[in-house]
Amino acid sequence: MALKENIFWVTCPKCGRRFYCDKELRHNTVRLLCPFCQNRFLDSESPEIFE
Amino acid sequence: MSKDLQSYLSKMKMKYPQHIVTIKKEVDPLSFEVSAIMQQLTDQNKHPIVLFEKTRDVNRKPSRFPMVDNVFSTRELCALALDLPPEKSDMALSLEFSKREVLSTKPIVVNREEAPVKEVIKRGEDVDVKDLPAGRYHEMDVGPYLTMVDIMKGKDGGFYDVSFVKHLIIDSRTLTVSLHHTLRKHLLYILEENEAKDAPTPIVVVLGHHPAFFLGAGAIKEYGNNDYETIGSFLQEPLRLTASETWGDAFLVPADAEIILEGEVIPHKREIQNPFGEYSGYYQPQCLMPVMTVTAMSYRKNAIMQGVFPGHNSHFNMGSIPKEGSLFNEIKKVAPNVVGVHLPHSGSGRMSCYVSINKKREGDAKQAGMMPLLLSGQTQYVVVVDADVNIFDEREVLWALITRLNLSRGVDVIKNMPRFDRVLIDATRPVDIPFPEKNKIPDEVMKRIRLPDFIE
Repeated sequence: MALKENIFWVTCPKCGRRFYCDKELRHNTVRLLCPFCQNRFLDSESPEIFE
Repeated sequence: MSKDLQSYLSKMKMKYPQHIVTIKKEVDPLSFEVSAIMQQLTDQNKHPIVLFEKTRDVNRKPSRFPMVDNVFSTRELCALALDLPPEKSDMALSLEFSKREVLSTKPIVVNREEAPVKEVIKRGEDVDVKDLPAGRYHEMDVGPYLTMVDIMKGKDGGFYDVSFVKHLIIDSRTLTVSLHHTLRKHLLYILEENEAKDAPTPIVVVLGHHPAFFLGAGAIKEYGNNDYETIGSFLQEPLRLTASETWGDAFLVPADAEIILEGEVIPHKREIQNPFGEYSGYYQPQCLMPVMTVTAMSYRKNAIMQGVFPGHNSHFNMGSIPKEGSLFNEIKKVAPNVVGVHLPHSGSGRMSCYVSINKKREGDAKQAGMMPLLLSGQTQYVVVVDADVNIFDEREVLWALITRLNLSRGVDVIKNMPRFDRVLIDATRPVDIPFPEKNKIPDEVMKRIRLPDFIE
């Protein structure tokens, strides 16, 4: 049984690196925080979403 | 002299220098340098306490605070923290833990002048938590984290609850408070009770104390327990408390701590936290967490900040050792033939559990193995073996699994449990059908033949 997390992957529109978020942040008005460049952005601004 | 981190580290340097390493060269925790050193020690199968004498703070300036990590990185170190001999580090340690967790020692209150943690006090705008050498441990960690324990006062101020919580530093006086709904920590209950009244929640962060303080904080106690009294039982002396800066005698704080942050969790406010590399070996996803404003910071003049390297041995032991003794006691209520309980590092000290029993009849293994699945919210797998298998040696557990498990009747998947399905594996010898005997050298010969008599 694999580890289960309710997640989706996003891509930072500024630095292009990927990280993942809890599903509660999908379609949310909260700006995500890129761990690599500290850019704040909405999930709708992510050039790619894997869910 | 009361027990504290400094006296413990001095004792280790004097009596057990092989268990402690001092790094004199400056390190920058925010640039992963602390975790890189500890990872390389781990890769060499070395697990000493690591004292970093010169550190950089979150602003990347030289910090006044040294830091220490890996304090719980071996079971031997955990035994020494409880004043047990290091050889009593397997089931004996867990059983000692379970004995102490049911006892309590009332704390004593001392004046501020007698409290080392009050040697330096900063309040309000003078506080800057970025003075601390908080670090990022893994590449995708979203920012600098503090990783020790928090204290809240329970309903109507009736008890103190002490639990492990991590904090992301947002700015000089703002931290997240990582309370996950899935884990249902006691602190979350307290926060929710206050939020229901739109009231802030007083909170205290302890960044360093004697390791027995933290082992006591890890005890699995019922909601409403006064954890200060349980911690006293682990210290084997009354925990010394003193008035806080923010609430005075209405909220007492550990007098012998290294560094204390006081603050209030703002009701209903949430802020982004994570990713953060967690105990499972994976990053916890980005999510929303409560937020606290720091109202005061106090510390010793020579304070050392303590941390736990996430997803590594200290973190695993802090998960496993407190549970093993408790689970042993609970299993014994339904299965008196239980011999040992171990939550191995391969399951991050939480996610898997080995139970050994003196099996008498079919069904014994399932009866004993159900308890960890019911009582430990993070345990997904339980493997039950016979008492001739050393559950602290995973080679032996795997040998039992490979040679004794009957796949058609020894594996049960328990579905629709909270968070995830659970698996119970019965890797005991069957007693209702013929089964081969384990190889053995006669006891009498093993006692009579002594290696030094044959090998010079």
